[in-house]
Amino acid sequence: MKKIKKIPYQQYYLYIILSFCFAASVMFVNHNESFYDRPIAEVMEVDLVHSEEVTDIYDNGDRLHEQHLIAELKNGEKKGQQIHIKNQYSASKAYDQEFHEGQKLFVSISENKEDGTDLTGTIIDLKRDHYILIVGWIFILILLLVGKKQGLFSIISLAVNALLLSYALDVYLDNPETSLLLICSIAVILFTILSLLLVNGFNEKTYAAIVATLLATFISLLVTYLIIWVTSGKGLRYEELQFITRPYQMVFLAGLFIGSLGAVMDVAITMSSSLFSLYEKNHNIPVKALKRSGMEVGKDIMGTMTNILFFAYISGSIPMLILYIKNDSPLGFTLSMNLSLELARALAGGIGIVLTIPIGLYISIFFINRKKART
Amino acid sequence: MNALVLLAAILFILMTLIGGKKGARSFFAIFFNFGMIIFVLFFMNDPNINPIIVTLIACAVISCINLFYINEVNIKTKTAFMSSIITIVILILFIVIVTEKAMIQGFGEEEVEELSVFSLYIGVDFVKIAASVIIMSTIGAITDAAMAISSPMREIHYHHPDISRKDLFQAGLSIGKDILGTSTNTLFFAFFGGYLALLIWFKDLSYSAGEIVNSKIFSAEMITILCAGIGVTLVIPITAWITAVFLVKNRNKNETVE
Repeated sequence: MKKIKKIPYQQYYLYIILSFCFAASVMFVNHNESFYDRPIAEVMEVDLVHSEEVTDIYDNGDRLHEQHLIAELKNGEKKGQQIHIKNQYSASKAYDQEFHEGQKLFVSISENKEDGTDLTGTIIDLKRDHYILIVGWIFILILLLVGKKQGLFSIISLAVNALLLSYALDVYLDNPETSLLLICSIAVILFTILSLLLVNGFNEKTYAAIVATLLATFISLLVTYLIIWVTSGKGLRYEELQFITRPYQMVFLAGLFIGSLGAVMDVAITMSSSLFSLYEKNHNIPVKALKRSGMEVGKDIMGTMTNILFFAYISGSIPMLILYIKNDSPLGFTLSMNLSLELARALAGGIGIVLTIPIGLYISIFFINRKKART
Repeated sequence: MNALVLLAAILFILMTLIGGKKGARSFFAIFFNFGMIIFVLFFMNDPNINPIIVTLIACAVISCINLFYINEVNIKTKTAFMSSIITIVILILFIVIVTEKAMIQGFGEEEVEELSVFSLYIGVDFVKIAASVIIMSTIGAITDAAMAISSPMREIHYHHPDISRKDLFQAGLSIGKDILGTSTNTLFFAFFGGYLALLIWFKDLSYSAGEIVNSKIFSAEMITILCAGIGVTLVIPITAWITAVFLVKNRNKNETVE
């Protein structure tokens, strides 16, 4: 209904719809306890009862605290009743938390309750959904504010890609005999077409970028696979790959495949749009000049793009590295245990990025020549 | 032969073949950045040093490597450097609040089983380290976006020397809008590629949607992706504005000198 109205009103309505969605979703996550099966309690009172200095066998000093919480149950049969919980936490908080009044927690209620005494229980975890929601909204609002229409398209493309990835994994889990790499290949083709079309629209430039992305990703996957095969995976510590329920090498390669895709797409579209804009400005530009300019653009983006992947992969290991070093593990062992796979991912992604530069260049020139021949 | 060495050797050959001297510099930049991470690690091990301060210094050095070493010191890289630092300072304030509120620091219950041999009471502040990790994972993308905006803005200013500050700012913003989609995509795929094992794990152990969303590991990764996205978006107007101000100011200065 609202879309039929005149254009100036559209934006106005968009703001109203957005703020309504925002308010409704925040209201929902703050009062969605009844949708959870697990008991949720809101902390009403916090009492610090004890704290002491501790030193572990490696001479690391820390402080342990114990707090008593009184919380009110928010869902289930015992809704509205109070529950007493003990919580221990350390100053470093590696695997424990200090809770405050007003926070909502998942708890388990102890069964052995005698009549007339208060409920007791233990904490399972913090309820985090509303934090994710708020950060998500801030992301969406900033993207819309800065990017306007393009921002909206990026959000749509991110959401579609996330759904697609989740669906692809479902397909894999339902048909475990099919190779994860095959499913990821199909997903990668869909990701590439969808994201590039959404971000850049239907035109020659986008088609060139799609072809270049697909070629470059598959070639770089092949190169990485060959390298791992030739070296028989020496130096890669798969045993530190976390959360593994499936054949680890496939999961690793599939992750590497999808991980470098975004960067490869970025390079491919940069190459094709800069070459096409040179061609638009001067239809008689010689192929040699196009090649030279294309290589210049490629050189400019190569360094920063490889660094994006490098930092995105390596930084996540920092807490684990600190834990190892603080537990007196030698530095070399710590690094090779925790970083071998991340480094392999970053290097393989880098190979993909660098390969995309000549591939993107020649594919764009091919498309430009085809356009020239037609006109 | 070690797979990592071979991968690195092939990357080095490709980079020098295609990029020449600049390509070789880009390759060495990765190694300097790796050195910076080891350096950061070293200081984070000392409980008396604030990890946030260490991260800020490291980010400044990393931006220097990514901008001044790979490229050169000129007005483009200088404005890109300033914009990156400003964005990081704003972002880190936001991230510190979020990590503290959402309690995504340290290790999740899924990880902790295999860590049972380690002592977890090691005295360092994991909340601040979690914030540092998020910033460090975004720094590459932020400097990339800053450079991608300041460099064509310089070209526009070169071809149209009389452009007003406002028009130059608008031109920078519209360049930024064009790279916004691909930058967020790059980060999105990089992170999801890294978390693929985790996603399969959640699905294999049939976690419910509620359990996934509230688990520490998933929240931490979601918040990392979202903060990285916020970072590359924020850097766009900041770079456009700073570059516009500096290019126009420089021109006025040159005119008065002449």
